[in-house]
Amino acid sequence: MKILAFESSCDETSCAVIEDGRRILSDVISSQVPIHKKFGGVVPEIASRHHIEDVLPVAEEALAEAGCAWGDMDAIAVTQGPGLVGALLVGVAAAKAAAWALGVPLIAVNHMEGHIFANLLQYPDLEPPFLALVVSGGHTMLVVVRDYNTFELLGQTRDDAAGEAFDKIARVMGYPYPGGPHIDRLAKEGDADAIHFPMAMAKEHNFDFSFSGLKSAVINYLHTAEMKKQPVVKEDVAASFQRAVVDVLVAKAMAAIDKTGLRTIVLAGGVAANSGLRTALSAACEARGVRLCRPDPILCTDNGAMIGCRAYYMAQAGDFAPMTLNADPRLPFLADQVR
Amino acid sequence: MLLAIDTSSLVLSCALMEEDRLVAEWTVQRRLTHSEQLIPHMDALLAEAGVAKKDITAVACAAGPGSFTGLRIGLATAKMTARIWGVPLIAVDTLEGLAWNMAGAEAFILPLEDAQRGNVYAALYGAFETMWLEAPEAAAPIDEVIAAAVRHGGPVIAVGEGADMYREKLLAAGIRLAQPHDRCCRAGSVAAAAWAKWKRGEAADPMTLVPNYIRRSEAEVLWEQRHPEAKS
Repeated sequence: MKILAFESSCDETSCAVIEDGRRILSDVISSQVPIHKKFGGVVPEIASRHHIEDVLPVAEEALAEAGCAWGDMDAIAVTQGPGLVGALLVGVAAAKAAAWALGVPLIAVNHMEGHIFANLLQYPDLEPPFLALVVSGGHTMLVVVRDYNTFELLGQTRDDAAGEAFDKIARVMGYPYPGGPHIDRLAKEGDADAIHFPMAMAKEHNFDFSFSGLKSAVINYLHTAEMKKQPVVKEDVAASFQRAVVDVLVAKAMAAIDKTGLRTIVLAGGVAANSGLRTALSAACEARGVRLCRPDPILCTDNGAMIGCRAYYMAQAGDFAPMTLNADPRLPFLADQVR
Repeated sequence: MLLAIDTSSLVLSCALMEEDRLVAEWTVQRRLTHSEQLIPHMDALLAEAGVAKKDITAVACAAGPGSFTGLRIGLATAKMTARIWGVPLIAVDTLEGLAWNMAGAEAFILPLEDAQRGNVYAALYGAFETMWLEAPEAAAPIDEVIAAAVRHGGPVIAVGEGADMYREKLLAAGIRLAQPHDRCCRAGSVAAAAWAKWKRGEAADPMTLVPNYIRRSEAEVLWEQRHPEAKS
């Protein structure tokens, strides 16, 4: 079964051809990151304008790379949400038109589920059940993937997402969007014990996160130093902040492993590319004899391949979308979440 | 058989045209969600008219100006279908499509689309034996547009959602309003304008076609105001 998948939830226009869920025949990503840089973040209207310009050329490039024609597609998949509504709408309109024009089924995919399924593309032998730690600019959550179509949300952030805190602090420190990689790079040179920042909700016995207090503490530290004209060692700030985020992510993930008895944990989302998180998590997993899966950086970014992978398993369950499908910028992770 | 769509305003409209004959048209002015309803409407239109997808030999679309999101939904749909079916894509200016509502009216037609905060997208067309563009399109305050139309003179008839929004001002200035069925965006008129363009060989490239927004995004305008040195 060949699926052409569209992803346009934020600032990448991506299309991929996926065969039988796991084989990436092509995964074309047109990134707008350089375009949004000067604005200090993604500008929704500009993102939408680039999506409508790129969507067809990107789709055709994906087909050409896969050695396929439009008529070879058995289904069309698209990210329904969450994301920027105007950006999502371009992908949804294009995918619906393609499915209708070809007379093939349409599959509507949750972007965050796609991020988790990127791991299935990376590891051919990986199968549920497993625990997923999802960390991105918009989400921070722990999810039990029972089988291909049954998920259980253990906990999530109560305020800011981890990635949001990374970007905001990088911005205050004078680094351009996206700021996460700058913090990661600085942190490698800094002393994580130099400054004590509060660890986000580490003491509470649940699987929820909170990063707004930590974010404020770091920003206050920077502003106070600026007012008092004290020198700031950016490397130490980055290392101490990153340590506080990573420690709580790892602690809660390990608590979830202990509670569920699962033996595999997968990382998902843009922050999965953070080297501090990767290092700390792999050490903790090794100590427990738990298998850690993490996609290559290219599969951690927004991409069509992960949407096509998720769509394949939805198709297996007969989960198709009607032609009245609309984009949903706040699409919840689970309609019937078990807490 | 030409399939035309118009999602540039709150009107959702699609139509089928063959040569000189409007085969079917579906126009709803009810602030529907275009992204939800466009494909189901197109599908129903074809079914009701007894037209198969393989009978479509060209796709036309209102390409702006108009609602940014509405334009992108229409264009994404038109680009994909035209490319997948391998048929020509014809982009029709939204204001030109509206003017075609009044083709042959022996008057000057003032199509007006909402550009928000008291502004409209406007142009002026001559609609006599032939149709021609009398004054080029622009985004401008409604009062300026009305003053210019009055200065131009001749019988002027306003069409489009801007005609509904600024009815009193237009009437006070001596500009007539088209009747309701001629006033809103209609895919039948887009189809008629498209057919004329198609015959002239004016097809668009689906790989590169983008909406005619007229306006740049607000973020870009603000950025340039703050960075005058960057203006080359």
